[in-house]
Amino acid sequence: MTQQEIIEKLRTMMRKSSQAQVNWDSVNADSAIASLGFDSLSILDLVYDIQQEFGFEFEAEELVGVKTVGQLATFLEKKQK
Amino acid sequence: MKRFRYLLEYAAFRAGLFILDRASTPTAEKLAIILADAWYMINSTRGKIARDNIIRSGITSSNIEADRIARASFRHFAILVVESLKSGNVFNETNWKEKVEIDIDPAAMEVLQKPGKGIILVSGHFGNWEVAAQLISYIKPVAGITRDMNNPYTDRLMKERKPRNRFRLTPKHDAGVGRLLSVLKNGEILALLIDQHARARGMPINFFGTPASTHTSPALLHLITKAPLCFGYCIRTAPMRYKLRAIPPIVYKPTGNREDDVRTILEKLTAELEKAIREHPEQYLWGHRRWRTKTTGTD
Repeated sequence: MTQQEIIEKLRTMMRKSSQAQVNWDSVNADSAIASLGFDSLSILDLVYDIQQEFGFEFEAEELVGVKTVGQLATFLEKKQK
Repeated sequence: MKRFRYLLEYAAFRAGLFILDRASTPTAEKLAIILADAWYMINSTRGKIARDNIIRSGITSSNIEADRIARASFRHFAILVVESLKSGNVFNETNWKEKVEIDIDPAAMEVLQKPGKGIILVSGHFGNWEVAAQLISYIKPVAGITRDMNNPYTDRLMKERKPRNRFRLTPKHDAGVGRLLSVLKNGEILALLIDQHARARGMPINFFGTPASTHTSPALLHLITKAPLCFGYCIRTAPMRYKLRAIPPIVYKPTGNREDDVRTILEKLTAELEKAIREHPEQYLWGHRRWRTKTTGTD
């Protein structure tokens, strides 16, 4: 899966998990995850969905610096290789 | 205008802390009880919420008994504030075990004492959760999740004042993907209170027989990380004396169905909280509107 495809997938998953009013079509690699209606608790829904969707587990520290959709997609792209 | 109100609140708060700091604990607690009784009489709405919640829970069907429990709950909360603020002067790493009765299940104690083992510790607004975090942090560092107070001046003051030891707070409004996961990865305790109304995000879980919107985070964290999930609480037994209790870690084999897995875990945790509240109903925060409909506003 390319990074763009991963971002597409993430956008669908985030739309499902987020409760915020967001123009999801404008969400791109530079979008900050915090601006998409997630906080430290609601982000867990997304993490759980990612684990199920991508079928792998990951260590917490791998995600600590992740702040944008693009960074998350890059992380997942590397992980699937 | 808002800034002026915040500054007024801050000044009143500071004055209260000034008196509290100079008063002995028994005097401060007497004062807290007077204020709690006055608040119970003046704030009839909150008192009514507490009495209605007690009746709804089925703990009693008597209005007189509900009134007694509600009043005691207000007093307990006022004392909780006093003792939480003074606990930093009373407990320390060497004396805390002499002043606290420890009733922690051996299996829970084993994970608590195991270096590098992260734990999800769930409790409720019951007993003294602030002192609980401080005491448990003598065993292993604790991270709690906090929401900033609306008033930035009192918020800053309270953050400076809270006795810390190895108890720190992590902001709820921080979407760092790995923030909470890293607490567990670092072998710390992540403390979560399960009984706040979770609004539309929550899952309806029966609390004393009535569905209440419940935060799914303890269950999701357990499913994501497989970290041990424990339930515990800290009962006040006398002035500045406590009993720390924790049950064995909850063992649950996930089915892979998210809805079922989260629900089952939350039901187990909620049942434990209910059991504890039934034993000490006066030490529960009944004034919280736990059974609001999902979409209603803040408490």
